[in-house]
Amino acid sequence: MKKMKRFTCAAVAAAMVMSLAACSGGGDSGSGTATTAAAGGDAKQETEAKKDGEATQEAAPSGDKTVVEVWTGDRHDMEYVQSMVDKYNAENTDNIEIKLTIITEDYANMLALAYSGGTAPDIVGNSNDVTLNLFADTGILAPLNDFIAQDEEYQKVNEPYEHMFEGLNAKDGNIYWVYSAMRSGVRVEYNKNLLEQNGYKEIPKTLDEYIAMAQKITESGGGQYYGIGFTSSSPFERLLEMSAQMSGVFYYDYVNGKYDFSGYKPFLEKGQELVKVAYPDQQGVDNMRALFAQGSFALWSNASQEAGVFTDQIPVTDFEWGVGEVPTLDGEIKGALLTTPSKGYSIVSSSEHKDEAWKVISYFQSEEFIKGYLENGYALPITSYMDGVIDKSKIGRLADFSLVEYESVYPTPPAVNLQGDDYRTTLWNAVMGYVGIDEAIEDLNTRYNSALDADVASGTVKRLIIKDYDPLHPSAGTATYETK
Amino acid sequence: MANQTKKKSGKGDSFSYMLMLLPAVLMLAVCSIYPFLWILRYVCYNYNGFTATYTGLANFKRMFSDSLFWHSVGITFEYAVLKLIFIIPLALVIAVLLNLKMKGSAVFRGIYFMPTVISTSIAGMIFAFIFATQNGIANAALQALHLIKSPIPWLNSTDFVMAAVTILAVWGGLGNYMLYFITGMNGISTDVYESAKIDGANAFQTFFFVTLPMLAPVLKVVLMLAITSAFKDYEAIMVLSKGGPGNRSMVMFLYIYNLIFGGTNTSVTQAQIGYGALLSVMAAIIVGLVTVVYMFVSKKLDHITD
Repeated sequence: MKKMKRFTCAAVAAAMVMSLAACSGGGDSGSGTATTAAAGGDAKQETEAKKDGEATQEAAPSGDKTVVEVWTGDRHDMEYVQSMVDKYNAENTDNIEIKLTIITEDYANMLALAYSGGTAPDIVGNSNDVTLNLFADTGILAPLNDFIAQDEEYQKVNEPYEHMFEGLNAKDGNIYWVYSAMRSGVRVEYNKNLLEQNGYKEIPKTLDEYIAMAQKITESGGGQYYGIGFTSSSPFERLLEMSAQMSGVFYYDYVNGKYDFSGYKPFLEKGQELVKVAYPDQQGVDNMRALFAQGSFALWSNASQEAGVFTDQIPVTDFEWGVGEVPTLDGEIKGALLTTPSKGYSIVSSSEHKDEAWKVISYFQSEEFIKGYLENGYALPITSYMDGVIDKSKIGRLADFSLVEYESVYPTPPAVNLQGDDYRTTLWNAVMGYVGIDEAIEDLNTRYNSALDADVASGTVKRLIIKDYDPLHPSAGTATYETK
Repeated sequence: MANQTKKKSGKGDSFSYMLMLLPAVLMLAVCSIYPFLWILRYVCYNYNGFTATYTGLANFKRMFSDSLFWHSVGITFEYAVLKLIFIIPLALVIAVLLNLKMKGSAVFRGIYFMPTVISTSIAGMIFAFIFATQNGIANAALQALHLIKSPIPWLNSTDFVMAAVTILAVWGGLGNYMLYFITGMNGISTDVYESAKIDGANAFQTFFFVTLPMLAPVLKVVLMLAITSAFKDYEAIMVLSKGGPGNRSMVMFLYIYNLIFGGTNTSVTQAQIGYGALLSVMAAIIVGLVTVVYMFVSKKLDHITD
């Protein structure tokens, strides 16, 4: 009996071990396990998608179609992009089939995983987290210079050499992607009714006047409405940092190759005055947008995405809203305002169909494709050529956010292993009074430069120097990288 | 001969036990021990998920001078103490009241347990609305009761944010500990209560001299679970206050999360997996030490009560 019992125990244990092994085996073959669902699960799906793609390639009706896999992190424009992909797949004479995959979660990590697993796509759409220091320096992306040089039509539409932004889409003369659209720099969105009630018609040019306006509106509101609102999500970036940029203040001293936050002092002092009269809560961006849309405060600031937000997502129906330029310290514009370029495509170095991939990129960035994209109101044109081609009457309120001459892209300063809070958090802490202004600036100068020096010494990054740096044209200078 | 059989049977049994333990041990090794060892590799590196640069002992030196990390450790202790001094007595009192088997006890038990099944991040979002300065439910209720004159900036003030975070933590964890206590109380024999009743013990005496001592083993385990979980909490805080304002509610695991997953990374900073790994090890040591101290103290208390 005892023997029987022992045998049963051993058999059950063996069965459990085998079932465990079977589980892990099953995971490999596809159905996925709970542990891989969060991070690797999607990667697995993509791997399988790739396998499917390969299968499609082999079993394609024509028998010799080349499948070009494209990954993008953009979901908001899916409808338009997919319709154009379908059109291309039906009409192209190069026997190319585009297989578009949209990945909105953990895009950069998924891409890195796929690359190391040998299942990377041929083309990747650029995204904020696909940065050159991670993807170009590691050889994952291939430079496009040769393709661009041979394609005159592409050059005409996309002006690639005029839009080479050091550290952002180009490095050491290599171009990794070319942008075909952009989001504007920050603008002030304002409640026209509340401004008029308080005797204002437009946004003033100087920060002092802007603060006075916010104060007046808050006083007249008596707790019912306020002059200005700030979000809890990167609030410094959405007004004060941009005002500083336009006033010629930036956190990286390109000429000397070091971080310098001293110029922010007056903006932090002005910020403290603004916060005193602001809406008492700093909530998430959408919450604050909703509060603006219901008239809880008069002044809000954000980039051109607000055109779609305040017309479709959280429509403003009870009052008229206007768009104005961000005020500067003394009313003069001495530096460029940061814009966010978008819709660029790169070829992955492991692609076996690079020529076909370039044909697909040429299509994605053709006049026909971009014109439709821009006229659908997804973004603003980045090139002067496309700016002249599109019918601006079709882009709705996005027209209010059109590119102004002082908007540009800054060369990306070295990405350092920073100790403690980043500069936006620390500077906002100073605005809120959680830390002294001088103390915050000194702390940032010390921490950022110590991290930069240590990372340059260890070889993690190189020091970016632009001797002929011009704050009004930050991307026009000649970048050099130093190892000291 | 009989002895030999016993020995043989003992060996056979232990083989079976080992075989039965194997799946769990394998799972533990693969899912817990291996990742821990894997992350240990990076403590001497700058690693952003793509490239790793060896930096020697730089991360260690940095850890000892990282004032924000040690600040977050201090906040974690403050949070844990605040949470425990409210949640344990409150859970115990509610468990005792519900255990009186009054009418509707089951409904209340369900209601108190409900927050436990709500996602932590959703709870954080809901409480962000509750604690809004303007039009927030908490301020509206306090003003209606004439307890405050002007709205409290719960989440925007360094004076109040820890109170808000603690209220959320107590609300979220209360039901769980309450259930542990109710289960523990169900294990106490009714004979003991009857004896106490015959001896003329009132409700307070019954609680302090019967229920509480009989519940001691459960209380010991519940306290240990509460301590370790309080030190590891960060999800709700991440949603409610993001560790702010001014890092006033920055607990250590939220700080580590931000380093590794880039919660505060901008284009000029990057994920610091190597340094984050080192801080994770240090955090594990801190939680381990606290647990050891608690075990030591509770053992000493056992001797005293014995």
